Amino acid sequence: MDTVLSSATPSATDVNSFLSAAEKEALKAATFQRLHPQIYLKRFLEEKIRPDGRSIADDENEDTHAWRNVEVNVGSITTASGSALVRLGNTTVVCGVKAEICEPELDNSDEGFLVPNVDLPALCSPKFKTGPPTEEAQVLSERLNEVLGNGMIPLSSLCIYPGKSAWVLYVDATVINYDGNVFDAALLAMVCALKNVSLPHAEFEPELNRTICTRPNSDPLKPARKLIIEEDLVPLSFSFGVFAGSYLLPDPTASEESLLDTTISIILNTRARILALSQLGTGVDKSEAPGQGVADISYTREADTLARCISLAKKRKAIIMKKVYDI
Amino acid sequence: MTLDLILSFDSLSRVDGSARFGFGLYPQYLTSISGPIEVRLASEQPSQSTIEVHVRPLTNVPGTESKKAAVILKEVLQMEVIMEANPRTLIQFVVQALVPTPNVTDELVAAMINCCTLSLLNAGSVPMRGVICAVSIVRLSPVKGEIPIYKVHLTEEPIPRLEATGCFAFLFSDSVSSNTYASSCIWTNWHSSYSGSAKAVDEDDLVRARDVARSAAREVWDRMKLLIEERERPKIAMRGSLVKNASHEMADAEKMDVEEDDAKMEI
Repeated sequence: MDTVLSSATPSATDVNSFLSAAEKEALKAATFQRLHPQIYLKRFLEEKIRPDGRSIADDENEDTHAWRNVEVNVGSITTASGSALVRLGNTTVVCGVKAEICEPELDNSDEGFLVPNVDLPALCSPKFKTGPPTEEAQVLSERLNEVLGNGMIPLSSLCIYPGKSAWVLYVDATVINYDGNVFDAALLAMVCALKNVSLPHAEFEPELNRTICTRPNSDPLKPARKLIIEEDLVPLSFSFGVFAGSYLLPDPTASEESLLDTTISIILNTRARILALSQLGTGVDKSEAPGQGVADISYTREADTLARCISLAKKRKAIIMKKVYDI
Repeated sequence: MTLDLILSFDSLSRVDGSARFGFGLYPQYLTSISGPIEVRLASEQPSQSTIEVHVRPLTNVPGTESKKAAVILKEVLQMEVIMEANPRTLIQFVVQALVPTPNVTDELVAAMINCCTLSLLNAGSVPMRGVICAVSIVRLSPVKGEIPIYKVHLTEEPIPRLEATGCFAFLFSDSVSSNTYASSCIWTNWHSSYSGSAKAVDEDDLVRARDVARSAAREVWDRMKLLIEERERPKIAMRGSLVKNASHEMADAEKMDVEEDDAKMEI
């Protein structure tokens, strides 16, 4: 019995001997992150830095390095009416818009349809398996439907012939790489794709009961047209998270997202007015005033967090506008 | 302001707790809770309980809007229930709509949250951090230069001059003295509605809306406490009064309970 067990573990020491000192340190850090993700993140935030090198948004340091880099590329999918590819750091979303013809509803016979959908396939993250859409994909699609359906594209502009023929725009976003904050990236991709859409000229022939479309660039009298967009209602989303009740993290990554206790989303229009905001959780704890009435502490805490998020979002909006409009 | 609410504890026999709630004259939702109960191995969590919320519309199978409402409710309830107290268990909520709900609007989500809170109070088996009450607020555009009005949105009927609408949920929990209960806003969903021109909202607007919501939520909370007091009244009266009176009252209360149960059986 004694001779079977041996104290040496030759495999571990052999692997380690192939790694340099820096790689060994990195391996230790990665192991620590896996075993104690909360403490790992907390240690970084105490030094006022985030694991990917960005700054946190505290009072002295409200610069724009708290946000990840945004890259937008439109029009690359030629088989779609409009398309966009957005990279928000490592989060990558590609969105295509397909325009089809259908009959409008009886109740709204002069309106077309806008159908946004987000797909989270298994290739974007180990969190997702193949099969029917997960809860997260359904909730994302529903949220985007709410935001986009609020009038950015007037549905009456999609009508070809009242009661007979209308455009339906299928806006499909697929997440290629999931690294947190998919809502912001998907919304940006959908907005850019819709701005890129070019609809062929369509006419409804009552005698034939058919809609005839003209191929773009084939007839100068019947050109393709861009979508009519209400500029005041174009949404831009900015998401934040709060970790451990005290650190405000703009644009959280996937590893940070799972540790947040509060998530805040602010949706601005192009003029920096707030279109919608949602906060789930209690916000940053700033209870340094025990003398006040107990009911007041939480009040100042909530007002404070939201006000900071709103001002940060407005600053960030200016940068995003350059990206969206300079394409 | 006195709110028009209808709230009651229900008597579903196969679950741990159930309740009905509605803004206006009719109950909008019937919620049941079972927990802590056995959990599937796949959804078991080693150090906390698992919460499952199922939202069912009156007609049709649940769609994406039900799913979204369920996700919101789960997040809100995770703040209300002390999850660490019962690890490796399941707390299951089923929210059944009693009125047609083609769109899950803000006031319906508020009603759902209140209904879940009531069913938790009815069950008594799940440890709670506090009581969460939610209300939906609308902002009406000012009439001839007056300030905009904020009022509680009770029914689904369209409201004229509607500029913005939103839902706020508050967690009421005990503090040092029993008179002042701290409330913190744990869910906010505020968005402007579009009727022609886009009337956006700003920070002061949000703060004012939240204040109105806070006092309205406190009223909902008071009504919940009243409901519990009514249910417990026979026992409370017994302590204070003579035994003879108490036995009469107990018989009366029991009779009333039986009658109430009969009435409830006729759903």
